[in-house]
Amino acid sequence: MKLAIVDYGMGNIKSISTSLKYLGVDDIYLSSDYEVLRSADKIILPGVGSFGEAMNKIKERSLDKYLYELVLEGSKPLLGICLGMQLLSKSSNEGGDSLGLSMVDAEVRRFESNGIKIPHVGFNQVKINNDSKLYAGLLGEPDFYFTHSYKMTSDSNISASYCEYGERFVASFEKDNIAGVQFHPELSQRNGLKLLKNFIDNF
Amino acid sequence: MQSRNFRLQKVGNLGWLERNYQFQKIAFSLDELIVLNAGKESKSMNDFAEMITKLVNDVFIPIAAGGGIKSMEDAELLFNSGADKIVLNSVLIENPELVKQLVVKYGSQSIVGSIDYKSKNGICEIYVNDGTCKLDMGLPEYLKYLEDLQIGEIYLNSIDMDGTGFGYDFGNINNIMASIKLPLIIAGGAGNEKHLMQGLKLTGVSAVATANLFNFIGDGLPNARKHLIDAGENLANWDVNS
Repeated sequence: MKLAIVDYGMGNIKSISTSLKYLGVDDIYLSSDYEVLRSADKIILPGVGSFGEAMNKIKERSLDKYLYELVLEGSKPLLGICLGMQLLSKSSNEGGDSLGLSMVDAEVRRFESNGIKIPHVGFNQVKINNDSKLYAGLLGEPDFYFTHSYKMTSDSNISASYCEYGERFVASFEKDNIAGVQFHPELSQRNGLKLLKNFIDNF
Repeated sequence: MQSRNFRLQKVGNLGWLERNYQFQKIAFSLDELIVLNAGKESKSMNDFAEMITKLVNDVFIPIAAGGGIKSMEDAELLFNSGADKIVLNSVLIENPELVKQLVVKYGSQSIVGSIDYKSKNGICEIYVNDGTCKLDMGLPEYLKYLEDLQIGEIYLNSIDMDGTGFGYDFGNINNIMASIKLPLIIAGGAGNEKHLMQGLKLTGVSAVATANLFNFIGDGLPNARKHLIDAGENLANWDVNS
């Protein structure tokens, strides 16, 4: 199993690779190189920081083109984590309006500050969508670690699983070979490790 | 519903901790880990970063690291070593420009602002540089200042109660809670699970932190967590079927 983590200079790679190694994935590559991404079995798109800056860095490295080809056209499995998931949307209003990779019909907006503290930081429960492959084997409403000020919403059917923080928002989505999680599975104890394993096994 | 956080602050040497207290087992009782490189035990940033890398191998929860961060290079080193968040203290007042740059580069949610304070005649006095230098600014003003810097969370530590095990400084926490808009982590004084529970019951408190060594012994932490959940506290549950 060869797994590539997209390198565009943003994201806590260490935690992700440590989790993957723990799960038995030996071939892990951190890269922005087309050949490495093409030869990988699955791709993870990490992300911590701001949407606009991330899209700039992605475009600078032509990663948007590579990902369209390999993931949208070539159906290579991709998991977006946190900002990585948000980048897959059509747009975000973080720091002005920015266009995303448009791999999922969704938008990213800031949380409404109606008496809640922003950012949304900490463990929170996810209401699992029955169609979901990511949560196989997890019981009830499992907790995952969230840390974000912006959230994804969608009017389309993207097999979304939801979380509640002042309002309901998309905690994860799945669409064929593409999945995204707002939370950090690599920081979510056993639940997170199980989810990562499901991505490795079921996508 | 949002879960409450139950955080542990590491005290002492990692190797000793692992050997004596089966850290991996304890780690499953926690929500987050805060590691501070402070005081007499203070290591070089490189050594500290190396320790963080080793720690990341053993735990799958967020790790916030801090202690003497004064430059972009310090922060980068810690993030690259595996820290999910950095904890800033003195630099918040000494170099606000750097703090703003860190927020832009890593995002608010990656920055925790640590405040050490003492209570004197009912007024909270803030200390920086390992508790040696008193700020002129009062706590309410300082909190507003930190909000404007757009950091993600506040870690409020009572110097008076720290290490006593007599409980958190609830008197002052209750008074100041309402004026804190950012997620608040309280620290300093927790000696047993009753204190943790008291802290979590306050709606203005997002997380409770403890470094009390007695909490590391035996099943102290796992039990505390179980009792808190049984008592109805919404802490994260780790139930996996297969």
